[in-house]
Order: sequence, then C-alpha cells, then structure tokens
Amino acid sequence: MTVPRVQSARQSFAITIASLTLLLIAAMLVSATVGYRLYGLDQLYQAIFAFDGSETATVLVNLRLPRAILAPMVGAGLGVAGVLVQTLSRNRIASPDTLGLNAGASLAVVLASATLGISSLAGLSLVAALGALLTSMLVFAIAAGAGGISPIRIVLIGVTIAGLGQSVVQLILTSNEAQMQNLMFWLAGSFVDRPMALAINGLPFIAAGGAIAFALVRPLDALQADDATAVSLGVPVSLVRVGCFLAISLLSGAAVAMAGPVSFVGLVVPHAARRLAGLRHGPLMLAAALIGAIYTTLADVLARFVIYPVEAPVGAVTAVVGGLVLVVLLRRRAA
Amino acid sequence: MTANSAPSISIDGLTLTYPGKTVLDSVSLDIPRGKITVLAGPNGCGKSTLLRAIRRLHRPAAGRVLLEEMDVAALSEKALARQIGLLAQNPSAPEDMTVEELVRLGRYPHQTMLQRWDAQDTRALEAAMAGTGVTGLRDRPLGSLSGGQLQRVWIAMVLAQETEIVCLDEPVNHLDLAHQLDCLDLVRQLNAEFGRTVVLVLHDLNLAARYADQLVFMRDGGVAACGTPDELMTEALIAQVFNVDAMIITDPAYGRPLCLPLRTC
Repeated sequence: MTVPRVQSARQSFAITIASLTLLLIAAMLVSATVGYRLYGLDQLYQAIFAFDGSETATVLVNLRLPRAILAPMVGAGLGVAGVLVQTLSRNRIASPDTLGLNAGASLAVVLASATLGISSLAGLSLVAALGALLTSMLVFAIAAGAGGISPIRIVLIGVTIAGLGQSVVQLILTSNEAQMQNLMFWLAGSFVDRPMALAINGLPFIAAGGAIAFALVRPLDALQADDATAVSLGVPVSLVRVGCFLAISLLSGAAVAMAGPVSFVGLVVPHAARRLAGLRHGPLMLAAALIGAIYTTLADVLARFVIYPVEAPVGAVTAVVGGLVLVVLLRRRAA
Repeated sequence: MTANSAPSISIDGLTLTYPGKTVLDSVSLDIPRGKITVLAGPNGCGKSTLLRAIRRLHRPAAGRVLLEEMDVAALSEKALARQIGLLAQNPSAPEDMTVEELVRLGRYPHQTMLQRWDAQDTRALEAAMAGTGVTGLRDRPLGSLSGGQLQRVWIAMVLAQETEIVCLDEPVNHLDLAHQLDCLDLVRQLNAEFGRTVVLVLHDLNLAARYADQLVFMRDGGVAACGTPDELMTEALIAQVFNVDAMIITDPAYGRPLCLPLRTC
C-alpha cells in the first residue's frame, strides 16, 4: 500500500522538475532573442555555432547571451540561499537581505567608488562579493560571540547590520550625488552589459555553495524542528549552521557580484518552491533553484519593456512582481 | 521485561552548573530497564535538566551518565541518538509540515550520507504511525491538528527513532484531561508492547503515581527520594519535598496512592 504511494509522489515530483526545466530553457531562449530588437532562434543558433562577425551575431553573443546565462545563475543561487536563510533562521520572511548581505555589498561598492575611485564592472563586482562575504562573517561573528548562533539572534543582528549599511550608503550617495549617479543603476541590480567572464568567474562559487547546500539536505530537514529536538535526533547543530552560513555567503556573494543587489528573489522563491515540492530540502532546494532561475530570467526580459525603450533595473522588477506574488501566496495560505 | 536486570542508565555523581548556580548537585540514580521512571518535584528542582543531561543536551561539570555501562560523553551524536530518544518540552516544527514529514525525521540517526532512506526506514515510519494511531493523519499539516493529535505525532516521531530508551519532558503540558490520559496510556503502551525504557518528567503527582514503576522526587537539584509510588507517596515526604500538607488516600479504581493536597506548609 505504501509503495505505490511513494512512487506516485516521486513521479509527480519528477514531472514537476521536468516541466520547470523546460520552462527555464524556454525563458533563456526568450531572454536571448526578445528585446529592443527581436531575433529568431535560427539567428541565435548561427551566432553561437557559426559566428560570422555580423552585427546581429555580435549583439547576440556579446550582449544577449551573457544575460540569458547570468540571470538564471543569479536566480538559482538566490533561490537556494533563500531556502537556507529561512531554515537557518526558522523565519519565512527572512532572505539573504535579512542577513545584511546586499546592504554589505552595496556599502562596499559605494565606499570603493567614493574613496578608491573604482568604477570598472569587474572591480565593482569583486568589491561587492567581498562586501557580502565580510558582512556575513561579521553577522556570524557577532551572533556566535553573543552566546550561540540562535535563529532569532541571527535575524536581529542581520537586520541591524543591514540597516546600518543602508544608512551609510545613503549618506555617501547624498554627499557625492554627481559622482554616484552611475552607481544608482548598479545599486538596483541589473544584467545590462555584463560580460560572459562574470558568469565564468561566478560559476565555481555558485557550484560550491550549491554543493554545500545539497550536502546538508537531511540535517536541514531536522533543523526545521526546535534545537532540542534536532540535537536529540543527532544533528550536529552548530556545524550545520556554520555550513549553512558558508553556503549562503558563497551563493549570495556570487549573485551580488554578477548582478548587483537583486531583492525579493531569495524571499519569494522559497515560498513558491514549498508549494510545489513540500518541506524536504532535497526536492525543495532543487525546485527553488529552478524557480529562482526562471523568475530572474523572466524578470530580466520584463525589465526591457516596462519603461520601454529604457531598461528598468531588474531588481525593481523582481521586487514588484515578487511583492505581488507573495501577497497572493500569503492570502491563499490564510484562506 | 528482559532477563538482563542491570539498569539501563546509571547516573553517577552528576553535577551541572549554570553561571552562578548549581542546577544538579551530585545526583546518583539508576534507571531500571524496561520500566517507566517518573521524575517529579517542585518548579526549579532540576527534573527537566536531569532528563536533558541524560540525553547529553547539557554537559556536566562533574559526574557521568552511563548508558549500558558506557559513558554517554564518549558516544557520537548519531550513536547516542540511536539509543536515547527525547521528546522535548514544547517541541516545535513548521505549521505546514505534514505529519509524515515530521515522523520521518525520527529516522535521521539511522541514515548516513551514502545510505539513504530504505525499506527498514519505511517499516519503522509505518510502525510508528500505526502504533500511535496517526496513520490516517499522514498528509495533514501540523497546524491543522488538535493539541492531543499533535502530541501523538511527536511521540510517533520519537518512536520512529527506534531507541531503547525514550525520554519525555512534561508530555502532557497544555493537554486537557482526556488527552493527558490518552497520551500517558500511549506511553505505557510503548513501554509494555515495544519494551521501551521510559523516563518521564511529570508535574501532576497523581498522574505520576498512576503511571510510574519507579518514582523519583527531586528537590533543590538533588534526589530527595526514589522508590515505588507506594513507598514515596507519604504525607511526610510530600510535606518535605513539595511544602504541602496532604492526605494520601488509595484510589478506589486502580488501587494507586492518591494525593489530596490540603494547604501549603
């Protein structure tokens, strides 16, 4: 009686994952071909496999393709990081933003630009990743120093650091308005004019963060219960929290380096993923990676049209769409 | 229950301190195999702390807890979790977690990175849900259950862990009278049918006297008295341990001692 039950659940989950994967591929193809100018799939194929140096091929390979690859990487990373943060903090309204990672990255970028005059994209993305990593280490150190990394303490310290970081960013931006104008676009997150090198550099960090996350699948399942229960099940709670922090830092750090701070993805995606995959972290994080990738890719396409012909920052689109989706999800849950 | 009559757990001179406070003061106690031991005592006497220390949730300042003559301090996390299960006081899990998802967690210590869920895990999961009567609730989210149902599900999780010893920290807290009896009858059934050694913390003396094979009175971080309910439920001991003048009568239905509290003393 139980065997068919398990099998049918597995089958329906396999169908869900297959559908999401197809959807992601479709979203990436749309991202590469649809925009200010429309291209055909045949032109995309030719540009990739028979590059002829034409203007069409150059635009496709240098401008469109990188963002069709970067956007899903960023979305997948933030989706998984979102699940990790929410489980770590046992708080469904937490996200990598809650740990202050985006604020830390923004602060680092603004500081580097104001004091060191760094303005190249490669420089800024490195600085952003460092900022996110330092912030997560700071939050972790304060939480651990205050007598143990308890969920509520992580959120309190993260929110405090995020608020501090954002305030300082505002101060510097206001005092240096003219010079900082070009940073405003970065601070909202975007995939415009990102070179493929960013994706290649980001890949190992996303892969490492994802590998740690998936190695922690079963202890994370048990950590959804209270600490006393998790410990008595044999979960090495502190060790799992350290691993979790590391994975979150790698994933969010890489995401912020590739796109700038993209808000709401890490908050909304886990909620959608739980509805499709349930609460076990294996299926949940797989679904979150795919949904995050689709969400960010489509948001990037949408960003090309909302204030056409100008490009909107993708962070603004993910926030507006994500906010609406979250309201619908929360209303359904309440009903 | 078994031919082997050596105690399942031996607590030997256990001392436990919080900064500036001694919570357990050189406690020595044997937990007999296959029996129900109930820890009782006034608030702050250290009974929950002792239960948690048995499961190594606290590190002792001195003394040892011996499990089958092995110091629990020497066991790995998972090895210990395969021997002793603990239902914490007021345990929590996400409201949208399903009954089955929660009971599955009990199998955690039996799995490794390489050896995932197998037929043995499925068998233990089904047996635990059937034994606690929650099989019909398996797809229900925890948030939709009544207090009594929820407590059954948590007990199912501990049962799925398939440990020789089961510790329960005030399992009938917040339950109404019917569910208190229901829950403790279930615990007794685990003890009788599955042969588990049970250690319980209970607040209600009369429930303690009714379900305990061995009753332990604690006071000020030490064991005040230990014995059968008949031995311990005396007016003199109740006055000494709980500061209450009480009358002890024999419950006409079950023949167990019954405490009728009169006034504080």
